[in-house]
Amino acid sequence: MNALPIDPALAWESLPAMLRGLMTTVVVTVIVLALGLMLCVPVTLARMSRNPLLAWPAAVFVVFFRGAPLLILLYLVYYGFGQIEVLRDGPLWFIFGSAFACAVIGLTLNHVAFMVDVVRGSLEAVPAGLTEASAALGIPPRDTFRQIQLPLAMRYGLKAYQNEVVMFTKGTAVISVVTVIDLTAVANEVFELTYDPFTPMLTAGALYWCLVNLIRLGFRKLEAYLSRHHIAVEKQRQPASAGFTALAARWKLALSQKEQVL
Amino acid sequence: MNISTADFWGYVGQMLDGAVVTIQLFMSGFTLALVFGVAIGIITLSRNIVIQAVWRVYASIIMGVPSLLIIFLLYYGGSAMLRGLFGNNLYVDVTPFGAGLAALTIVYAAYVAELVHGAVRNLPRGQFEACAALAIRPVSAWRHVIMPQLARLALPGLVNIWLIVLKDTPLVSLAGLNDLVANAKIAAGATKEPFVFFIAASLFFVVASALTMPLSNWLERRFARGLQRVKA
Repeated sequence: MNALPIDPALAWESLPAMLRGLMTTVVVTVIVLALGLMLCVPVTLARMSRNPLLAWPAAVFVVFFRGAPLLILLYLVYYGFGQIEVLRDGPLWFIFGSAFACAVIGLTLNHVAFMVDVVRGSLEAVPAGLTEASAALGIPPRDTFRQIQLPLAMRYGLKAYQNEVVMFTKGTAVISVVTVIDLTAVANEVFELTYDPFTPMLTAGALYWCLVNLIRLGFRKLEAYLSRHHIAVEKQRQPASAGFTALAARWKLALSQKEQVL
Repeated sequence: MNISTADFWGYVGQMLDGAVVTIQLFMSGFTLALVFGVAIGIITLSRNIVIQAVWRVYASIIMGVPSLLIIFLLYYGGSAMLRGLFGNNLYVDVTPFGAGLAALTIVYAAYVAELVHGAVRNLPRGQFEACAALAIRPVSAWRHVIMPQLARLALPGLVNIWLIVLKDTPLVSLAGLNDLVANAKIAAGATKEPFVFFIAASLFFVVASALTMPLSNWLERRFARGLQRVKA
């Protein structure tokens, strides 16, 4: 039996193209993550608002763009924009007409819809007593939100955000359907040129694996930074075996937030 | 709309055929992932170094690589892999459906197994110890004591995986499966009405995820029926 036949020469030869594809994947990911962070706060606040005129459209937005698969959203944006005459004849067609922008728009719609639930879940995880206490102390609501709720919510929501970022980064593999040359597209091209079923896919897979684990590593550092005072206390209190319980508790939190998402 | 009604209903019929394929792939993929995932999850609770090493590598690869890539890998390389495993004279034609089903199973079995680990970790130690103290055989203990509680603990995560599999199923259309999304794309291209057909296809998925809610609520009540009396 022959193990998976991998051709090192082909892998090496296709590496520059693969790295260019990886670069595209990274650029798209970074742009969408930045857009997502900017857009998710207003949409979340609208979703949590008591005004039905704000809450309803936001809820519909979330249900639709979270429920629809990314693949269909990309098709919808890519083939749909060309049908809207205002866009096609408008001055911004050079943006809406480009495959790259369509990919970014489709991904952003999906990502923001998921982010709304991440942000909402972590804001609601902040105990109400803290808000009440700061109201009792005469701290204005804006400062309460900025200085008390937000920092805590960031820590609570980090695990859920990490899951979403990792899921989303892997999800970018579909953008090749709207002719963006990302890592998956390069791997497919190499396959079509060589008909080697293993080498291009495994090379691309290895690069994706590195990217995803780099993201995980970054989140671990960020988490250590955000809960730096906590870790000091925990180390003091619980010498060794408590790591497991802490892990389970955090996992539970991530899940309970996911539960609210549904 | 600039298409005749007959044409329109023709495309709708085609999309319904595609929807049936999508539902078949999704249901069989999820079921297989659940069965294999639970089995893998229980087996990998073992502290055996070899089992742990294999599981770590498998989980790490699956969690780090897009499922689309695994679908492509199995579709392009599936018959070569099967030949490598079962001898060279075997010739199997790997269909998009088969490759997609295998990919969904392999990928989501890992997530289900991870879920089982988390649930076991959250189960109080005393449950296992009590079973041992009462001299309940391991098989019965798992069947009557551990599993019913794991089901309750793992349910929210399982619903989540259900929704993710549902949204990953259309990816198999990129390997050439004639499912709902592929047919929607054909219809949209032929009629130049992308909004009608793509929004219809997305609504299928939106409605399918919305229908999950009552189902998961019912399951949750059912699995927690031993707890409700305590709470009240």
